[in-house]
This record gives sequence, C-alpha cells and structure tokens, in this order.
Amino acid sequence: MSRLTRRGGGTAISGLVAQAVWPRYVPDALNSLSRLVLVSGTNGKTTTTALIAAALRAAGHEVWTNPTGSNLERGIAAALARRAAWHGGQRRERSAVGVFEVDEWALASLLPRLSPSLVVLLNLFRDQLDRYGEIDTTAGAWREVVVGLPDTTTVLANADDPLVASVAAAHAGRVDWFGGDRLGAAADLDPWADVRGCPTCGEPLVYDAVAFAHLGRWRCPSGDLVRPSPDVAIAAAQPHGVDGSAMTLTADGWQSDADVPLPGLYSAYNVAAAVAAARALGIEPAEALDAVAQAGPAFGRAEVIPTPHGEIVLLLTKNPTSANQVLDLLTAEPERLDTLVLLNDGIADGEDVSWIWDVEFERLRPRRLTLGGRRAHDLELRVKYAGVQPLDGSVAVEPGIAGPLDRALSRADGRLAVVATYTAMLDVRAVCVARGWATPYWSDA
Amino acid sequence: MTTDGPTLRLAYLYPDLMNLYADRGNVTCLQQRCAWRGIELRVATVAWGNSLDEPQDIYVIGGGQDRQQRAASEGLSRRHADRIGQDLADGAAMLAVCGGYQLMGRSYRDADGTVMPGLGIFDMETVHPGPDVARCIGNIACRWEGAHLIGFENHGGRTYLGVGARPLADVVKGFGNNGTDGGEGAVVGAAVGTYLHGSLLPKNPHLADHLLTMALRRVAPEYALAQLDDDVEWRAHRAALRIVGVS
Repeated sequence: MSRLTRRGGGTAISGLVAQAVWPRYVPDALNSLSRLVLVSGTNGKTTTTALIAAALRAAGHEVWTNPTGSNLERGIAAALARRAAWHGGQRRERSAVGVFEVDEWALASLLPRLSPSLVVLLNLFRDQLDRYGEIDTTAGAWREVVVGLPDTTTVLANADDPLVASVAAAHAGRVDWFGGDRLGAAADLDPWADVRGCPTCGEPLVYDAVAFAHLGRWRCPSGDLVRPSPDVAIAAAQPHGVDGSAMTLTADGWQSDADVPLPGLYSAYNVAAAVAAARALGIEPAEALDAVAQAGPAFGRAEVIPTPHGEIVLLLTKNPTSANQVLDLLTAEPERLDTLVLLNDGIADGEDVSWIWDVEFERLRPRRLTLGGRRAHDLELRVKYAGVQPLDGSVAVEPGIAGPLDRALSRADGRLAVVATYTAMLDVRAVCVARGWATPYWSDA
Repeated sequence: MTTDGPTLRLAYLYPDLMNLYADRGNVTCLQQRCAWRGIELRVATVAWGNSLDEPQDIYVIGGGQDRQQRAASEGLSRRHADRIGQDLADGAAMLAVCGGYQLMGRSYRDADGTVMPGLGIFDMETVHPGPDVARCIGNIACRWEGAHLIGFENHGGRTYLGVGARPLADVVKGFGNNGTDGGEGAVVGAAVGTYLHGSLLPKNPHLADHLLTMALRRVAPEYALAQLDDDVEWRAHRAALRIVGVS
C-alpha cells in the first residue's frame, strides 16, 4: 500500500505514526466527536461522504472528514491527525460532526469499537476479488457487526440492493432507507450483475424494475425478504452525459427537482443517500438537497481538469458496475467523445484484470480511442473482441500513463474523457499536478 | 463476413450462478473466433433451472461463489448430468473453469466441510483446507503443448488428480491444482478443466482454437480451422507473461 501513500500526497503516513504511538487513536478520536457518521459500500463512498459533509456544513455544523478517499483505519487516523494539528491540539472535536468514508472491510473491524450516530450502507458490488473476496463474505461480515450496534445508532441503507437490505434489516434500532421509486423498467438483470438470488432463501429474485446492476425494485418469490419502502426516494433521474443529471427526490410528502453536477444514475443514489443521511441527522431534506446540488464532484470522480490542449474529464472505474455506469455516461453524450482508457493492475486496482470482460465495451462509440496503463494490451484485446470502431478507425495503444495521456491530448478535439482505474486515476492526476494543470488534492481538503 | 462454414452448438452452463470472474469472456472469444471464420456458433445459455435437450458440441462453465456453487452442483447432478456425459463420451469439448472445474471432478469439499458431488468427468477430488488457510491467488503461467498459458487464479480448494486424469499443463509460476505437485488443470478427451479463471481464452488463442478443433472433429472432420491474425492476442499474452517474469 506504499504506492497509495506515495501518490496520495502523504495522507496515510501521519496516520501510521498516530496509530503506532496510540493504537486506540482512531476509535478514541472518533468517539469524542459530538456525532459520528460512517459511510461504506463498494461504490460512491467518497462522493456521498462529500455530499453529507456539504449538507452538514450548510446547516452550520463544523465537519471533520476524510475527503480524499483514504478510507482504511490509517487513512482515517491521518485525517484526524491533520485536523488536530490545525486546531493546535485543542479538543475542538467535541462540537464537530465526523463524516468518514470507511472501506468495506475496515468497517467490519472498526464498528465494534465505535458508537456512531449513523451508519450509511450504500451498496455491495463485486470488486477486487483478489483483495476483498466474494460479496457474500463481505455481507456476512457486515451482518455480524450490524447485529452488535447499539440501539442508539441509526442505520441508513439502500433499499434497492437486496444484499445490503438483508444486512440492514438485522439492526435492532432505527433503520432508514433510500432507493428508487419509479426508476427503471421491468427487465432481466444484466449478465454481469452480482446478486441474483434472495440473500435469505437463495431463490432467484424477481425484479419489477431494474435501475442498474442488481439495484432495483426486487422481491423474493417466496416472501423471505421484502424490499423496504424508501424514506427518501428517487422518483425520476435524467442523466446529462458526463456533465451531470437532473433528478426528482421525494420524502415525507415533500418533492423537489434538482440539477446536480454529478453524472449518472449512480450519482442519483449518492444524492438520495446524502439527503436521507441529513434527514436522519435532523436537517430538512429541501435544505440538504440545495446544499448537495451545489457541491462539486469529489476528488477524481468526474472531475474536470483544464489543460492547454483541452479539457479532461476524469472518470474513475473500479469494477464492472462502475465501468458499465461510466459507459452509460459516455453513450448518453450527444457527440462521440475522444476517449482515453487506462487499466492498471496495482493492489488498489485489483491485480486481476479479468473483470474487463464484464464491461460492455461493445457499447463504446469513441471519436478517437487511446488505451494505456500497465495493462494496455489487455484493453486492446478486449476492445478487439468488442468490435469497437472509433470514428477515425484506429486505436492507439501505449502502456504507461503520461505517454498515452499526451498522445490522447494531442489527438483530441476539445474535451477528452479519461476513464481510469484507481491508481491510474492517481497517476493521471499526479501528471496534471506536475504540469500545473491541477492542484494537489490535500491542499483543498 | 461469411457463414458458409460448419455449425457448432455451445452450451454456456449457469451464467446466472457462475460468472464470478467475467467468465463469459470465454464465450465472447469463441463466438468471435468462429464468426471471423464463417463458422456458425449457436450459443445456448443454460440458466440454472433450464433443461437442455439438444446435444451440444462444446460446454463452457465458469466460477461462482460458494453458495452458487452448491446450487450449481445440485443442478448439474439433477438436471444435466446425462446430457453432458453422453455428449462428452461422444467427443464434445468442454472448458470448465475454477468453480466449474471443481464440479467436474468426483467431489468438492468446501470450506465448511460440505461435500458437493461432481460429475466425475475428471478423475479428481478437490478439498478446501478451511477458511483460515490462505487461498491460491495471483497471476499464473504454465507450459502447455510446447507453449505457455497465462492467466489469473483465485481459489481456496486444492485439487488432486487420480490415475484416470492427467494435468492440462505444468505450472511455471503460480499454484495450479494444489500448489505442490506442479500440475495445473485436467484433461480427458476433449474436456479441459483449469484454474486459470475468467477470460483465459482471449489471451490464450491457441487453447481457444484447440477447443474449436476438438469440437469440429466430430461435426466436420474434413474442415480445417483457418489461421487468424492473432497479433493483438499474442501481444497481450506476451505482456502478461512479462508481468509475471516469464518470457
């Protein structure tokens, strides 16, 4: 994980030091905050954490958070240590609200030592099987710690994810739900979807509507698990390509439309989760949605970076679900986009690149296409079998990051969509920072 | 693109349960390599509860999570054992990957100690040493028919071949069947089992064509498989070998 720290602007090092001298540093510091919100799930942690923090700040709260996606225990320790340093060691945290994203497995180990006000469970998708293992195992680990939560903790969970719903239902205290209301249409699940059977009885689930992946209005044919009714619901969502989306949210008889600068249907779920989290913390949904709609994209998530050769839109992909969602964005663009796809196989990306065969590159219609990263040739092969036809007919392939980036920029007319796995995204950003096109992210934390 | 070549029938078993590592890339690969040659490949997607009446020339099955694997084991022995057994005896080809490979042996004892019966295509047994023992995870390279196979493996179970099966390949880097005897996968007739998971065929076009050749042997014995331009395939193959330090 040292490569994470090297590229990540040194966010985790101070955390390692704090943990070494004080092993209970993270739980002690987190428990001393006035209120603590933890956000976990496979996709959308960083964005949702940023949105909840924005809603809380708009409501006048001081917020402590880990805005850079450094979500293991040492990353959280680092965010806390940095905060403590800024405050000159004063115990200011007693009045602050903590909003922290937590890695799925770190949640299982941290939760028994914490008493959070709110735990937000976003979704579970297949992701880096070589590192995380199967999602049934992750769900099992979550279930064990959720059962042990005090009644004073509220759990907020995605009603549209049957696996997450089965976990949250195990909580003895208050459970709030977010989800889609009239999203999607009756359909079969995509062949790459991760959850098909009822988490309780194993029978194939029936979907009255599929939003994306295995999220939707599901039901168990044997009635062993019932989809909860969302407290905050997405009544409609209209993605506008990579630039953002329009959506309608409802809660407690309230309904509102919003344009948010966050692209894709998955962003609608993150917004709904953030508004529902704010609601659980006593903030009016209308007020929360206003604040959320003004928040920009989180670090590396549909972030726009201006360069002398045109604008880059940086799109993070981590797994089949997020990559297929990014393909939805690109295909929703009115014009074909110049596109650079970067595939790395670092520990934080997943060393196994098999998952790209569950990404529907068949739908990719780029203007020009450049492929890079450490596994550029795996992408080249995937694109060949998908029959991708760029407008100019050729695909440029070059392993590495700066090389293919320069090549793609020099060929691009205007905007370049950069689709990158996690370490490739960090690398692209590092190149942009070195050239003065972007600021290092820890300076805007 | 012509379709004046022979017709092959492929059964893709349980994609609803066994697609953990994007195993369907193998079907995509066979489809394209047939289409480029004018061979018609008819793919029957066999979901868990479906029946399969028509004889098949190629079977493909991938890997799954423990729970799905138990369901697959049950489905195979209850619904599909006779059809598969008959076709394989008749010379049909098979690619069984990871969890699907384990189910083609005589039995698989999983991490909980539950014993799942297999179809017994390969004379082998698989035993999971328990949840506390490290899984076999990583890039894997092996020698096969004077060339390399390259892929990724991620399995808890250890597979031990009996006298009636021989390994598909010799491990050069990685674990293979059990991490000790140097064998990887199994082969009987035209049936191939392997721990190289997910989309192994695109980066190993020689193995893809081997399966097609075996399947065509009974359908159109006179038909010669045309050479394709596999530059992209071999470039990816060599790049992946270099990453594991084999070249």
